[in-house]
Amino acid sequence: MSVVLDGEFIRLVGDCPVEEAEPLLGHLTAGGPKVVDLRQSGHLHTAVIQVLFARQARVIGPAGERFVQLWLLPLFEDGQTIAN
Amino acid sequence: MDELLREFLVEAHELIEQLSSDLLTLERDPDDVGRLESAFRGFHTLKGSAALFDFEPMGSALHAAEDLLSAVRAADHVIGREAVTALMDCVGACEYWIASIERTTRLPGDAEDRARKVGEAIRSALQSGKAPAPKTVIADEAVRSLLTKFETEIREARNAGGAVTAVRYSPHEQCFFQGDDPLALVRSVPGLINCNVTPREPWKVEGFDPYLCNLVIEFLCAAPVEDVRRIFRLLPDQVTIVDAAVESSSAVNEAVEKSAMETTSRTLRVDADRVDALADIVGELHVATNELAHAVRLAKVENPGLAQVLAEKHAALDRLSRGMHRAVMRLRLVPLGGTFRRLPRWVRNVTDKLGKPVEFSIAGDDVEADRTVVDRLFEPLLHVLRNAIDHGIEPGPVREATSKPTQGRISLTARRDGDQIVIAVCDDGAGIDPAKIRAAALAKGLVKERDLEAYDDEKLLSLIFAPGFSTSAQVTDLSGRGVGMDAVRVAIEALGGRVSATSKVGVGTTVQFTLPQAVLITTVLTVRVGDERFGIPIDVIAETVRMSPERIVAIRSGRAFVLRDRTLPLLSLASLLALPPAARSQSETKVLIVKSGGGLVGIEVDGLSERLDVLLRPMSGLLSGLPGVQGTALLGDGRVLLVLDLPELIG
Repeated sequence: MSVVLDGEFIRLVGDCPVEEAEPLLGHLTAGGPKVVDLRQSGHLHTAVIQVLFARQARVIGPAGERFVQLWLLPLFEDGQTIAN
Repeated sequence: MDELLREFLVEAHELIEQLSSDLLTLERDPDDVGRLESAFRGFHTLKGSAALFDFEPMGSALHAAEDLLSAVRAADHVIGREAVTALMDCVGACEYWIASIERTTRLPGDAEDRARKVGEAIRSALQSGKAPAPKTVIADEAVRSLLTKFETEIREARNAGGAVTAVRYSPHEQCFFQGDDPLALVRSVPGLINCNVTPREPWKVEGFDPYLCNLVIEFLCAAPVEDVRRIFRLLPDQVTIVDAAVESSSAVNEAVEKSAMETTSRTLRVDADRVDALADIVGELHVATNELAHAVRLAKVENPGLAQVLAEKHAALDRLSRGMHRAVMRLRLVPLGGTFRRLPRWVRNVTDKLGKPVEFSIAGDDVEADRTVVDRLFEPLLHVLRNAIDHGIEPGPVREATSKPTQGRISLTARRDGDQIVIAVCDDGAGIDPAKIRAAALAKGLVKERDLEAYDDEKLLSLIFAPGFSTSAQVTDLSGRGVGMDAVRVAIEALGGRVSATSKVGVGTTVQFTLPQAVLITTVLTVRVGDERFGIPIDVIAETVRMSPERIVAIRSGRAFVLRDRTLPLLSLASLLALPPAARSQSETKVLIVKSGGGLVGIEVDGLSERLDVLLRPMSGLLSGLPGVQGTALLGDGRVLLVLDLPELIG
């Protein structure tokens, strides 16, 4: 399972292929504030990233994958990096 | 005419269109290097082709144009207005010459003379008007913004030496379904310096589809251009790759050239006659399918079981035939831009001649319509624009006095509205004075004074389209014979469309055309007059009413009735067609409520029958001038249905 709902958090665990985009969107649009935790994420398919942009999701890093961490995380307004 | 010459003419038209567009842009933006290059190439190519056919005067005029542009490029000058005007005259002459060649395969007798004049004007423009040119100039918008966005980083990277490549990657919407993972591809680019991801269209809150890609990725990397190109080799049409290590302007020009070459044309050039032949066959197929429906109805009587099977097969055939018809219709669809693009240059000439500066804007030139419609729109649009510039836009001092901007504004817009197209020409000029219309209508005896009193402003305005109407005191050279608006109405109605105008004195005028997008299949309501059947196009009918004869009142020499608090005149279709009237039914009168001349009219018929989709064939030969008839249609039982033009009959 790549997209895990854990209370207020949506945790992306491991690699998230394109199919995960829809479940992720579902969790983000269901009620309640949600923060997306990327700390255990692996490779994220573009569609998954796109969902995060489209919903202006709040994300928590550092992202598990270098590319996401270096280049994509800074693009999120609310992107916070919580030191491990 | 031989094949080679024919091809030359097709190419010449395209080159001239491109040259016009380039020169118009250069007039506004003299430092647009991309357009300068394009114009140079255009003149050069056209000159080369003309040389093959020994059209010497044309060749020499084009040579002068090429020389001028060559000098401007070499000296890195900004092209002056005088030069652009001289070049435009050259293009105008070429257009005239091409038309002559099309008709007679030869240049006109005065070609040498004209070419000499054009050449002199160009050479004199070359002597005068030099200005130091601003240095680097960036053409392609996407590339320009890309290089601007990463300006700082590019400078730093260049200073550090080594390669710098800028890329704009706009993946196709459907790319996920093709197994693409755009960001993964970007991840594989070595030496990433900077990366930005933005949405192509604003994010939708409702109806966001996570499986359609709406991202644009722009990035800078320290890898050489070839390496980056290799990574994206399978998606050349989704990326713009620029070598940013080289001097900006040449990098951009190279990129623009490359993208121009790489845009593989996904179009076919097809002879229009072949498409027409195909459309004819499809039309016949449609008619044959309708005839089958008729046969199925007959079969129901003889053999219901078989009829049922046949009905199903017919339905399938009908679906396919309609689908094919739609597909063929789409072949005939071309963008309105084809006609619109010819207008700005003409407008510029006219406004120059009249000394009335005008800002002419066009929107919606990508709206598509049947090519006959697009072709035949040119003349009416020209008429309307003529009027707008000549009579609409006031001279400078008048505009100043009324605190209007010195530059007049004329806009040409086109949009889809269902299966109709709406085209509007809007000016911010003096507007049309209802009082003047009233006076002119009376003077020309078009309307009786008594009737005129009942006219509201809207109805008055529609008078400008009436035959023999013209408010201009003199027939100016520009407005031709002064019968512009009537000719416009006729031309548009021949295409199955309608014209209307709205205006406000001191504010401006809008003339609007509503046209069918497709020309071939029309929905008609069949009506009976005595024993005869006629078709009435459905878009002319507001509604059908059955009423008892008591509701009809005799007024003066005619009849009228009341429909929902409005009094409408009642005409009889039989008398409009000069047919003997049938015995009037005692129980009910069947009336079509028809839109005519901005109002409604009731048309009495003897019977109302079914609605049909028919292939409308315009009248041909001796009958083509027949008033009141739009054409004929072949019915399922083989009979010919005459389709009437009610508004024309009503008059």
